[in-house]
Amino acid sequence: MIKYLIKRFARSILTLIIIISVVFILLRMMPIEGYFQNFEKLTNEQIQAGIHNMGLDKPVLIQLKDFFIQLLHGNLGTSRIYRANVPISKILAGKIPISLKLGGIALALSLTLGLPLGSLMARSKGKFWDKFGTAFIVFVQAVPAAVYFLFIQIFGNEWFGFSMLFSKDDYSTWIMPIISMAIGNTAYYAMWLRRYMVDESNKDYVKLAKAKGVPEKKIMMKHVFRNAFVPMIQYLPTSFLNSIVGSIYVESLYSIPGMGGLLVDVVKRQDNTMVQAIVIVFACVGILGLMLGDLLMTLIDPRISLNKKGGAR
Amino acid sequence: MKKKMISLLLCLTLVTTAFAACGKKKGASDEVVYRKLYAGEVTTMNYLVTVSENEFDVGANVIDTLVEYDNLGQIKPSLAESWDMSPDGLTYTFKIREGQKWYDYEGKEVADVTAEDFVSAMKFVLTPEYESGTAQLLFGVIKNAEEYFNSQVEDNPQTEEVEGNGLDIDFSEVGVKALDKYTLEYTLAQPVPYFLSSLTYVCFMPAYGPLLEELGAEFGSDNTKMYYNGAYILSEFAPQETKIYVKNQNNWDAEHVYIDKIVERYNAEANTLAPQMVQTGEIDYATIESNIVDDWLADPERSKLISKSRVEVDYSYFYSFNFNPQFDKAYEPDNWRIAVNNENFRQSLKAGLDRVRALSVTEPETPEVLLNNTITPETFVTNEGKDYTSYGNLEAINNGNSFDETAALSYKEAAISELTAAGATFPVKILMPYNPGTSGDTDWGSECVVIEQQLENLLGKDYIDIIVEAGPSTNFLSEIRRSGKYAFMKTNWGADYADPQTFTEPFTADNSYNFMDKAMAAGEGVADTVAEYYALVDAAKAITIDLEARYDGFAKAEAYLIEHALVVPYALSGSYYQVTKKDIYEGQYAPFGVSVLRHKGQHLLDKPVTMEEFQASQDQWNKDREALAK
Amino acid sequence: MAKFGSSRIRLEESVSEVLRAKNDLQDGSKGNGSPERNGSHSRNGSHSRNGSQGGNGSRGGNSSQDGNSFQNDNISEKELFEFAGYDEASGEKIGYSNYSYWGSTLRAFLKNKMAVTLMVVIFSILLFTIIQPYLPGQFDPNQINNDVKGNLLRNVKPNREHLFGTNSIGQDLWSRVWSGTRTSLLIGVCVAAIEAVVGIIVGVLWGYVRKLDFFFTELYNVLDNIPSTLVLVLFSYIMRPSIASLVIGMSLTRWIGMSRFIRNQIIIIRDRDYNLASRCLGSPTTRIIFKNLLPYLVSVIMLRMAMAIPEAIGSEVFVTYIGLGLPIEIPSLGNLITTGRDLLMNPGLRYQLIFPTIVVSVVTISFYIIGNAFADAADPKNHV
Repeated sequence: MIKYLIKRFARSILTLIIIISVVFILLRMMPIEGYFQNFEKLTNEQIQAGIHNMGLDKPVLIQLKDFFIQLLHGNLGTSRIYRANVPISKILAGKIPISLKLGGIALALSLTLGLPLGSLMARSKGKFWDKFGTAFIVFVQAVPAAVYFLFIQIFGNEWFGFSMLFSKDDYSTWIMPIISMAIGNTAYYAMWLRRYMVDESNKDYVKLAKAKGVPEKKIMMKHVFRNAFVPMIQYLPTSFLNSIVGSIYVESLYSIPGMGGLLVDVVKRQDNTMVQAIVIVFACVGILGLMLGDLLMTLIDPRISLNKKGGAR
Repeated sequence: MKKKMISLLLCLTLVTTAFAACGKKKGASDEVVYRKLYAGEVTTMNYLVTVSENEFDVGANVIDTLVEYDNLGQIKPSLAESWDMSPDGLTYTFKIREGQKWYDYEGKEVADVTAEDFVSAMKFVLTPEYESGTAQLLFGVIKNAEEYFNSQVEDNPQTEEVEGNGLDIDFSEVGVKALDKYTLEYTLAQPVPYFLSSLTYVCFMPAYGPLLEELGAEFGSDNTKMYYNGAYILSEFAPQETKIYVKNQNNWDAEHVYIDKIVERYNAEANTLAPQMVQTGEIDYATIESNIVDDWLADPERSKLISKSRVEVDYSYFYSFNFNPQFDKAYEPDNWRIAVNNENFRQSLKAGLDRVRALSVTEPETPEVLLNNTITPETFVTNEGKDYTSYGNLEAINNGNSFDETAALSYKEAAISELTAAGATFPVKILMPYNPGTSGDTDWGSECVVIEQQLENLLGKDYIDIIVEAGPSTNFLSEIRRSGKYAFMKTNWGADYADPQTFTEPFTADNSYNFMDKAMAAGEGVADTVAEYYALVDAAKAITIDLEARYDGFAKAEAYLIEHALVVPYALSGSYYQVTKKDIYEGQYAPFGVSVLRHKGQHLLDKPVTMEEFQASQDQWNKDREALAK
Repeated sequence: MAKFGSSRIRLEESVSEVLRAKNDLQDGSKGNGSPERNGSHSRNGSHSRNGSQGGNGSRGGNSSQDGNSFQNDNISEKELFEFAGYDEASGEKIGYSNYSYWGSTLRAFLKNKMAVTLMVVIFSILLFTIIQPYLPGQFDPNQINNDVKGNLLRNVKPNREHLFGTNSIGQDLWSRVWSGTRTSLLIGVCVAAIEAVVGIIVGVLWGYVRKLDFFFTELYNVLDNIPSTLVLVLFSYIMRPSIASLVIGMSLTRWIGMSRFIRNQIIIIRDRDYNLASRCLGSPTTRIIFKNLLPYLVSVIMLRMAMAIPEAIGSEVFVTYIGLGLPIEIPSLGNLITTGRDLLMNPGLRYQLIFPTIVVSVVTISFYIIGNAFADAADPKNHV
């Protein structure tokens, strides 16, 4: 187990180093506009001075080495355009907790709604609740999120008087963004739980239980739900960590100062140092999420062992 | 059962958080609070380096300049109580108002505002490593500014270019000095008739020297990292969230600051949400974009809420012909080069362009008000009551309209025979790019499509083939205009100071607009015309004391530029619909600089200005301006 | 161990929801993590699940942890068994007599009335987007229409002449919506095709050529950690907005999941008992691939392709929303919806949003249900 973890960890670090190096080198190939705030208005002299100050005139590999050294000190660099001359870690430190909080609550909400809905659908397969749930899932997938989020916001405001804008201190303004964020995941969890449960209930052990005369409800809750939930457990860390990334639609609609849209923003504004830092954060989040997910699976399902020969990962 | 427990717990947490703090706070009741949404966040609040308008907004409201403008556009004292100009026009001496203080973001007094603060600020601007975008505006104006700036740049041994000038100039040789605590002296490189007007611009704003020393490039990166001496103090700044300005009660002119608090909330979709929120009274201002304005005007209730914004004369929009095409072979740049050097061809496009129709995309109701027949807009500058656009030949151009279908067709005939002889092929491909991502200018693409169809229908698809193409949404200017990747495109220029010279800048040598200097250097068909224009401009620039003669000279040059269709004057900006609770004609006004961004002097009304009220105050304002001119 | 779904960064809600859903769909059925689930090729949806006899039985728990463990087993086979000569006639004798894979697939598919109806809908939409410009009385989608006085026909509500009304500069929305549907479907089909071609080729190489396994596995580990949104945003940003750049941007990462799936399937299936038997009987590799492997893969390939189209439309809406989408002179469902969104609060103009949204919804639902129905029908386990 420990050996596996160490191996796994080392591999993740290696992946991370590769991703960072590739992104770093790619960004060096981008136009130097990305390092200056008012590039269009600067004189050649100012640009030369700036390039020298930032060490951009050094060979790329040396810059990369310097960057890694800085990274080890926890220094992600300084934003050049998005917020000129502000340390990136400071910018992110303000944004990540908000996205994480909202995302975490939304995830909890979608689990509390999605799981009962999914198991209800599975139990009443082919009947009303199943059809109702399916209609909901199909609707959520079919209508573009860009449209129904706006709809929720405006009519939540018109009909229920919720504020259109988010405010950290006023928790009533948290409700609509959280609902919006949770809708997609609710449908997602309901859909998968239903499927896994339906699959599971065709298994021989269920038939055996039925034959033994175990009550239907008990079979569903005790055996089927448990087994069906196992594969979903694996996603929870990823889902939770992914809320760091935020939701671009919801955050821009409600003025939530989180991470949503930050990537798009800095890419569009060509803030190279910020792009670099955010890619690192995203990559870390992705890798960490997968690792935790696998770990959680082994802890919950004793049948799965990580010590056996590793697979694709 | 564990899962049940977990889900129960989750439910509980959710409910508790949701109800934990439902009580809403309300501010003090008699405070006048102005609330608005904004979609573009500042990247810095360092007014000494920024060039973007939404960052000027901060500087304009929290920093007082030496002089300011009143609501009719008259210069009046602000931080400077009085000033003198030497007879040769080279030295300006300002007496600074005493007892003004710098405050930090909490309103705590820090230090006196002294003449030294203007010197320190200028030193900051002229330091290359701080990358000020406005430093170049000082070059050629303030004595030794450019020389001092370049002397700090070291030559890069790897490039052939000489970056620095190798001089050893001390900052004391630059033309800005604090003679004593409250006396400031500027020495100019040459007489600059518009010098006073440029003092309201950001590069002439003061900053507290010791703070600049301490923070360096970090100055203004946050509201806690700058000091305030203006009408407002930025007490709260949470990026992508909110900006709160509170009135500076100790400001010398605090009695004319009527709004106590300005609460600005960030929203990336402000254009979509603000019209909704202004109806419910959550905010006090919203622009109504042209795509929804029809619906607002048709609604009896909502139509009472909207009024218009004033026509802005600080920016001039014009269609540029590219005389040095660098675009893709597919669009036949060589053929375009032949065509654009032919005056009749240019005239046919100029006369053929139905500007009113194109403008009705952005201004469906009264597109005519946006028309601009000259490059320098009417009412931009006057000399002794005479508007610049009524000098010389410019008067006829300003009162006419370039759109003339019959003329366009006869120019076309002439152009066809001449161009055929010159070896051009028809239809001439005309690459017309637009920026799909400009905020507040989302109609540009639609406008191009309208123009494409109007010109092609009038002049014939066998004569021209306009290709409308979306450019990149970031770095549009450097990718398209500066690199010459267009044939015929809408471009704009914003005034930096109150003199017609400012509007000649996009056409001078080494310009990145229409590159006609390159065509001149290459001796192409248009060369003589361009040379003549440059000669006229240079002659006008040389006249520095006699304003009448100076304006006449510039008017002559500008008329020549337009008559020979080197450029097609197009439009002004502004005149959009908005819901506002402020009477816009109350605020400070100047067609350049940052004056119009100031909240000072404006009252917050109980309900939005109606169209009638807008019209009335516009008429009154025009009347007052006319009375002043006499 | 293998994970069930990829960790797409969730910037684009609905898009990634579907994306993850879909990844899960396939990965779930291969079920590396929980051995019991390996055989059942179940799909989401509301169909009966009579299959899984073949699957469960044949998959022993020991063989299923991962494909790699099979590598060691193969050498011994050659030593242990002697090849008998291949006799086609006797080979056919024990085969199914009148089983036709595609025939059975079609029969199974036709049983699903809902899917058939939606199939008809999709084909009508497809057909209509193609013939629409040639119908009489159609407007050019970019043409600006004027009233008699020569003013722009702005924001005209739906009427007989302009069935969907006009937009804020007087363009006919009916033709814009159809032209936009055409653009968006084209993008979707191209993305699906690229995904299928690249994904299958790489997947087959990865699964079959053992020397390449290490290389591809490591490549996968790196690529899969890069959020697809990041790639899409960076790419559409660098490239000038055009149909081609969008297609490439969306395709850059999509094939990864596909090829991984193909690889895993190949590794699992190729050493199943019946394939072993088939090989013992001397069937050539091509026959094993076409008769034994492909039917298993077709269902999922088709499902992925069917899902790729609505996903591509969703991505297109997203890319347009963040301001990197197609220019307005190329109408697409993405830019129609993005322009329409701004009007949601204006009741008199809402029609400009409703029509494109309906088209997106219909197309998405149809492909979703057809894809699932077809995948079920194509699964040989559901044929018996």
